[in-house]
Amino acid sequence: MIGRSKVIWEKFKSSRRNIYSLYIFSFIFILSIFAEIISNDKPILMKIDDKLYFPLIVDYKETHFGGIFETEADYKDDFMQDLIEKNNNWAVFPLNPNSYNTINLNNSTPNPAPPSLHNYLGTDDRGRDVLARLIYGFRLSVIFALVLTIIAVVIGIFFGAIQGYFVGRTDLFLQRFIEIWSSMPELYLLIIFSSLFEPSLSLLIILLSLFGWIGLSDYVRAEFLKGRNMDYVIAARTMGLSNYQIITRHILPNSMISVITFLPFRISGAILILTSLDFLGLGVPPNTPSLGELLSQGKENIEAWWLSLTTFFVLVGTLLLLIFIGEGIRESMDSRS
Amino acid sequence: MSNKLLEIENLTIDFTDTLHRKNIINNISLQLTKGEILGLVGESGSGKSITGLAINSLLDKKKFITKKGKIFFEGQNVLEKSEEDLLKIRGNKISMIFQEPMLSLNPVQSLRTQICEVIKLHLTNDESKFQDIIESIFSKCGLECNNKILNSYPHMLSGGQRQRAMIAISVVCKPKLLIADEPTTALDVTLQLQVLGLLKKLSKENGMSLILISHDLDLIKNYSDNVAIMKDGKIEETNSTSEIFNNPQSSYTKRLMNCRPERMIDGSRCNQELLRINNLNCRFLTKNSLFKTKRKYFHALTDINLSLNIGETLGVVGESGSGKSTLAMSILQLLNYQGQIIFDGLSLEKMSKEDLRNQRKDFQIVFQDPYSSLSPRLSILEILSEGLSVYGDYTQAQLLTLCEELLNEVGLESSMLYRYPHQFSGGQRQRIAIARAISLKPKLVIMDEPTSALDVVVQKNILDLIISIQKKYNLSYIFISHDIKVVSAISHKICVLKKSEIVEQGETISILENPQSDYTQQLIRSTLFDS
Repeated sequence: MIGRSKVIWEKFKSSRRNIYSLYIFSFIFILSIFAEIISNDKPILMKIDDKLYFPLIVDYKETHFGGIFETEADYKDDFMQDLIEKNNNWAVFPLNPNSYNTINLNNSTPNPAPPSLHNYLGTDDRGRDVLARLIYGFRLSVIFALVLTIIAVVIGIFFGAIQGYFVGRTDLFLQRFIEIWSSMPELYLLIIFSSLFEPSLSLLIILLSLFGWIGLSDYVRAEFLKGRNMDYVIAARTMGLSNYQIITRHILPNSMISVITFLPFRISGAILILTSLDFLGLGVPPNTPSLGELLSQGKENIEAWWLSLTTFFVLVGTLLLLIFIGEGIRESMDSRS
Repeated sequence: MSNKLLEIENLTIDFTDTLHRKNIINNISLQLTKGEILGLVGESGSGKSITGLAINSLLDKKKFITKKGKIFFEGQNVLEKSEEDLLKIRGNKISMIFQEPMLSLNPVQSLRTQICEVIKLHLTNDESKFQDIIESIFSKCGLECNNKILNSYPHMLSGGQRQRAMIAISVVCKPKLLIADEPTTALDVTLQLQVLGLLKKLSKENGMSLILISHDLDLIKNYSDNVAIMKDGKIEETNSTSEIFNNPQSSYTKRLMNCRPERMIDGSRCNQELLRINNLNCRFLTKNSLFKTKRKYFHALTDINLSLNIGETLGVVGESGSGKSTLAMSILQLLNYQGQIIFDGLSLEKMSKEDLRNQRKDFQIVFQDPYSSLSPRLSILEILSEGLSVYGDYTQAQLLTLCEELLNEVGLESSMLYRYPHQFSGGQRQRIAIARAISLKPKLVIMDEPTSALDVVVQKNILDLIISIQKKYNLSYIFISHDIKVVSAISHKICVLKKSEIVEQGETISILENPQSDYTQQLIRSTLFDS
């Protein structure tokens, strides 16, 4: 395995498009994981009256700084701003001093407001910072897609392996079950459930996972049908290995290539699904940063180009990078070329 | 112009892909006169087929780089010709036939369409003449020229018919040169003789030169005028056939000659019975139906009776599809069958699943293809220790020593334990497969064509290994092969299978010297070429 994966990696590396796509995507994704440090309305470090504060990590009440409210301090509020500018006080704000739900109340122009020094990419129709929402939305989309893909892969491998390994009646019944299951109208179920329950990310993941594994199990099944007749599997059976040992040690590792090849495409597919559902208003709960919701706002406010254009570029960029990576993996795993 | 049809001068070809560049043809020179049959012999990977393709300029120019050399065909350098000129030569003057006719015939076109295509391209556009041309070439090739054959698609023909049809298509334009790349390797022994006879006849009648590419020395000996022996992209030796076989010069040729299997065992063995098979039947459902009477079956094994003693080798010979492998799978209890298999005094089919799993360590298998018989993702240590850890509680250190011993036993170094199968050659992999089979100290090992995928030199070494292991552990073998030469070299008893039935069985020597059934006689004659 070491040898084979090394060959694949060498092949992947030999194309500059592959390697740049991988590096850029990983860089952006790792950056977005630290979104709270990059884009937030709380200072990273603050010094007031010769005392150091870490508002990003610790919650301070406004009363702590001599304010009136018992709630957490709003560092963009005039009261806090005045305090910071006094005497020797100072505060280090993140690069983009807005979080995804920070509403710019001091805007002179009506919302959605065009890009300005306060909001680098403007605000949406509720006065929230677009750049912050893009960063948090990107992170949410990718993590959502990863979780969805992992769940789909696990379920898909499970069912595909059982079908392909045990064949016969087991295969027949499961295949019929899959046929019935996949003919259920997914979109209507989503609409019905989003009106029955309070929309949430976990509900969305559960609903989409119920259907996401179906295509994948077919590939795993085909690989297992091929694998179960390989000589080394027969040899393992004559040595008395149990079915579980044969599946996990012999067939599964050799079937993973087709699964891995599909991963980047499935991830990009999942991002697209989340975006479309959000666009239709069936996705994540309101106030969650989401690319789909931004796109839908862009449609409502067609003159506010900073909404639709920026989201469009983030989305296209992400999907393009993932597809390039997927293409690269597919080519490097193809032993024929 | 001399009567030289083809002259290859100092041809050197490199193969490149994204990662490697490798020399595959190294400075070879060959000559071929009109009507001559040249045998090109070598191991797989020695560059035989590449030479054949280079003559026809069929190599992908991006991957195969001709560094130097010339190929003169009828006095003109093929390598300098444009693609347009080459089209006039290919198929018309130089033709090729390949090993597997199923792959070289187009599966979605009828035979008529495929042969007419060639005629239209190179001979005539007059469709009224087609029938005559086809009839004459088919009768030459021993094919009936009726609509049933002409309108059939490749999969509807038998293996022999397919290869004949392939030859008919290649020679319909009366080419000056026919390159036959392992033309009979995929065919059953009885068909091999016919096809080779046909090629020789065509060569005589049309004055056609023939390059016969093969790994089979006996075949070359009987059919070619001159022989060129290739190794690692170089020509080791060229000479007339009789000279090469009677007076080989290069050391490699001598080694090749010595590798032809000869009887390697003595008659001594034990009289205690290990395996007995009574009335074994095996059938596969081909057409299912709710009613039992309407179900259709393919009978893979019919009324097989066999017995095998301890320390004895039973050779099972038969063509592909005769049920040899089905027999192996039945003994291994991997198939459903009717009948009785008694192993070591116990009736296997009556055993519970648990007992059977414990019994399994006593019978093991070695397969034909050393590339698919080792899981590519496991290291040699993992492969060898797998069976051991099922039946015993060993510590990691104990497993390591045991596996090292096993590797030494099959002639490999213990430092190879951490490598992966793809780092080994075919012969080494087969050694590992044998090591795995004997890891559980079985009483019976079934060898399913263990040497068929290997070159003659390696084959000899593996056979030596098999024999020495048998002597050491008093093992019993069931040795399955289509090659009666190999089987007779190492088996005490032989059983000949044909179309799911045993045609003949008995002591090896008596069968070889005095075969009773027609089929066995035919089989022995065609393999040993002493017609």
